[in-house]
Amino acid sequence: MKRMIREALIYIVATLIIWGIIAIISPVKGMLVGEVAYGAFMKAIEIIIAVFIFIGLIQVWVGPQTLSKLLGREAGWKGLVLASTIPLFLGGSLVTMFPLLKTLRDKGASIACVMAFIAAWGGKVPLLPLEIEFLGWRFSVLRTFLIIPFAIVMGLLGQSILEKWQNRHSVGAKSIT
Amino acid sequence: MDIGIIYLLFAFILLIFSAVKDIKKTKQALKASGKIALAVFPVLFFIFILMGVVSAFVSKETIASWLGADSGVLGVLIGEVVGCFALVQPAAVFPFAGVLRDRGASYGAIFGFVTTAILIGVSTLPLELRCFGRNFTIVRNILTFILVFIMSIIFILTLK
Repeated sequence: MKRMIREALIYIVATLIIWGIIAIISPVKGMLVGEVAYGAFMKAIEIIIAVFIFIGLIQVWVGPQTLSKLLGREAGWKGLVLASTIPLFLGGSLVTMFPLLKTLRDKGASIACVMAFIAAWGGKVPLLPLEIEFLGWRFSVLRTFLIIPFAIVMGLLGQSILEKWQNRHSVGAKSIT
Repeated sequence: MDIGIIYLLFAFILLIFSAVKDIKKTKQALKASGKIALAVFPVLFFIFILMGVVSAFVSKETIASWLGADSGVLGVLIGEVVGCFALVQPAAVFPFAGVLRDRGASYGAIFGFVTTAILIGVSTLPLELRCFGRNFTIVRNILTFILVFIMSIIFILTLK
């Protein structure tokens, strides 16, 4: 918590310094920067608050335990399909995802599942309202749907490349395929 | 009606459902939302000001020539590389990408930027190395970069 507040303060102070320098050098540009920032804030604030509520609810109702139950147990195709779709709906950042996935991996999830999981997590469905607002619905829908085949390819290709690579490096290498 | 209000209404309806089912879990959810807000709002402040800086100092021609439709696949590569180094919360990626879009960046380059900004982070590399080891990290990041590049071609061809 203390670290979060410190990081928040660093961002705020750094931003104010940048803005301040611009405003001193050119008050007109300083105003313009402020106007654009204010416009973007007003455009996004309601959506952002809604998105935060979505993510909070998802974190509580689809916790790490539920996930590891779902992904740890299911192997093969079923596991890969789950890993390529469920993470679409999760929030969080890579910093929170990596430790969670390490736990899943230790519990027996395959490399393919972990790779697919990270890729599918990039789908960011909870942020979809924000994405549509700023980039349009055609872009957002296309991106979201492309993420699923991307995650499956990522999982399968990632695992096979990694296995071949590690076999070549291990003594008395023999191919798994 | 404003679309933001509709999302907010929907969020509150979900909250009420959640509270009816389990009040303790709902309190935890609100706490989690608050924590996310504390982490994201300062970054958003930074990004919004950065959006203003881009609008005030970088001309449309510059963005268009680097990331615009005429820049083609090179624009995608630039977008991807910038995304790899962008130290931002996923929630801040879309507003910033919106400014690039308004200033003439192509959807292919925007897709490259957005996706690598979310999935490849120079700042999270140490954590990934510690969790999954060197080989996994190298394969995942390079493969992501290549597949995102291939997918961005679809965006270049379909969205103008």
